[in-house]
Amino acid sequence: MNKTQINSIGFSLSSDRVSVIILLIPALIFCTVFIFIPAFWAIVGSFYSYGMTSLNDWKWVGFDNYIKASQDEFFWIALKNNFIIVFASIVLQVGVGTILAAILDRGIKYGKVIFRTIIFTPMVISSVAVSIIWLLIYDPNFGILNNILKAIGLPTPTMGWLGDPDISIWMIMIVAGWQNTGFMMVLILAGLQGVSKEVYDAAEIDGATGVKAFWYITLPMIRNILIVAILITTIGAFKVFEFVYVLTQGGPSNATQVLGTYIYLQAFNLLHMGYANALSVILLIIALILGWFQLKASRRA
Amino acid sequence: MKYYFSRIWAGILITLLSFSFTSSSYAIDIKLWDLSARQGQDEFYELLKKEVKKYNPDINVIVTEWENEAYKTQIQLALNGDDGPDVFFNWFGEDSARLARAGLALDLTPYADMEGGYGNFISKGWQDAGAVDGKIYGVANKAVSKYFYYDPAFFDQHNLSVPTTFGELIDTCKSIKAIDSSIVPWPMGNSERWKLNHVITMLNQRVVGAENTKADYALTAPDDELFTNPKYVEAWEKVVELNENCFNDAPNATNPELTRSMFAAQISPMMYCGTWCGGIFASEGFTDFKMFRFPRVEGGADDGTVGFLVAEGMQVSAKTKHPEAAALVASINVSDIMALADAELRGSLISNAALIDQMEDAPHWFTFYVNDIADKSAHVNVLDVLLEANVSNAYLDMGTEVLNGTKSPQEAMDFIRKVALEAKAAM
Repeated sequence: MNKTQINSIGFSLSSDRVSVIILLIPALIFCTVFIFIPAFWAIVGSFYSYGMTSLNDWKWVGFDNYIKASQDEFFWIALKNNFIIVFASIVLQVGVGTILAAILDRGIKYGKVIFRTIIFTPMVISSVAVSIIWLLIYDPNFGILNNILKAIGLPTPTMGWLGDPDISIWMIMIVAGWQNTGFMMVLILAGLQGVSKEVYDAAEIDGATGVKAFWYITLPMIRNILIVAILITTIGAFKVFEFVYVLTQGGPSNATQVLGTYIYLQAFNLLHMGYANALSVILLIIALILGWFQLKASRRA
Repeated sequence: MKYYFSRIWAGILITLLSFSFTSSSYAIDIKLWDLSARQGQDEFYELLKKEVKKYNPDINVIVTEWENEAYKTQIQLALNGDDGPDVFFNWFGEDSARLARAGLALDLTPYADMEGGYGNFISKGWQDAGAVDGKIYGVANKAVSKYFYYDPAFFDQHNLSVPTTFGELIDTCKSIKAIDSSIVPWPMGNSERWKLNHVITMLNQRVVGAENTKADYALTAPDDELFTNPKYVEAWEKVVELNENCFNDAPNATNPELTRSMFAAQISPMMYCGTWCGGIFASEGFTDFKMFRFPRVEGGADDGTVGFLVAEGMQVSAKTKHPEAAALVASINVSDIMALADAELRGSLISNAALIDQMEDAPHWFTFYVNDIADKSAHVNVLDVLLEANVSNAYLDMGTEVLNGTKSPQEAMDFIRKVALEAKAAM
């Protein structure tokens, strides 16, 4: 390699660096304005007490908002519900999505496109519209679900599907699952279609077919896709808001409260902006920890 | 070609200059925010714009309409910013008083008697609806109340009479169920929590009474007395009684709009609904309904003459650059012409009540509301507007719990008292 070539490479590298910086600037500006600055003020605000109508009257309270959160039973209910939604979403959306994808990939011969389209369709409807559709289905007086159950002689919950604190969170999970499973299915199906046919042929010679082939061949081969699917589901489950807000508004009696709706309640209904900031910071920390774990897992994969 | 372009540029320049001369010198833009989805709103605001120009031709009223829930959040954010409305809708009570105390609402007292000022149009009593510590922070243009609506054909057919006491109300519910157990006597849709809150507002009034609730509602009662009156528990016990005899199953999962349709479709013969409901029932094809007041409770503190009434109106932002123009817009909103238009176009129960007689073809329910409100001895504001935000939320939550049977009336009051004590300590 002669001197000219070295210079040329050196020039080219530094030019790349400049290009990278220039290309990153718009994204950095947007991130700074819409993420970093609000996050910074949320952290600062979490140490103060102030309301929506007293934004210029901040009172320093130190860690009081965090101590209050630790003693707030509804915060713990909201946090517990978020974790329930995370785990249930992974089982329902990624689990069922994987099964559906496997069936579409290798289980059926005809109508794959039609089934894929039907299952994916709820994904293109807005979450609010989906929630309203399910409100009508769950309605205790005229809802189709109760009518079907009554028609076949089965009991219906006397407090209603969304009015019973013991089952309402699961009813919300079904709605979220109904909308998002199709997306997971398409994602995983893309991964499945990338698995070479020869691998299955070789496995068949070794005696691995059907469920055995799915367990020992398919799942390990799509591990990366599954990790991405779990990552998307976890993040989605932690920021869940619209399903809960439209279906139950966190009720009955806070039984379906999640951090998103509880932060909203504290900030905009009860006007505790400082406390809402502290809750947001806690949510941010949880999201960062989960994100770090997921990232580590995906790198290992 | 060059000549052609220079002519275009000259044209643009002249247009821009003429705009700047005609609009920038004197034009005053007043941004007005109101709730949307009201019948006749467009015509109403077109008329307001014209009426305002009669007093000051330089004022341009720019109306923005909002959905109910979005508005509650947006207005608070906007008033803290620099680009909020000059004039805005609000519910009068704690919501409007909080903005006044925070310095976000303008004191309108000095503008009452100016030319076109609200003092020329509405009575002292209505002016006081927007008062906080003796100063006027809002101009009330209308009010909402609540009544029992019933189907007189059904009542006549089954020889049912209009209940005048709570006991008779429960008996009526029982009689309706005895006629057909599948009929819901009084559909209750509490999925948004406020519906039962309006019922407990009236039960507190009927059972506990205004004198006994005053200090508790204002959080000024001594700590050892705050919300300890056993009558509050008795009011919740009435809710349990209603739930057992009158309401549908799963009220906490039932949408309030659906219950309105149940009555309008004559599936249910009775319901408790606001003064906005008469027009809704009519729009759904049912006009032959009648109304009666929330009945008195036997042994209760009031005789049944106190009614539910929430005043609504316009406040002016303390940050407005044109306080006088904004106050004028809020005032013209209650002028004789606008009040009459409000009643006719939007079906509002207007604060400028002397004009009701001039209304053409007023529907029978509207005449009933007006006469009944005038006949009441006093009014009570709804708890979710009246109470401090945390206590209000506790009342809303406890409504859900009591209906579900997950908390007893005593447990509900214990919880409300705990929240009230915390709220009082934080004040």
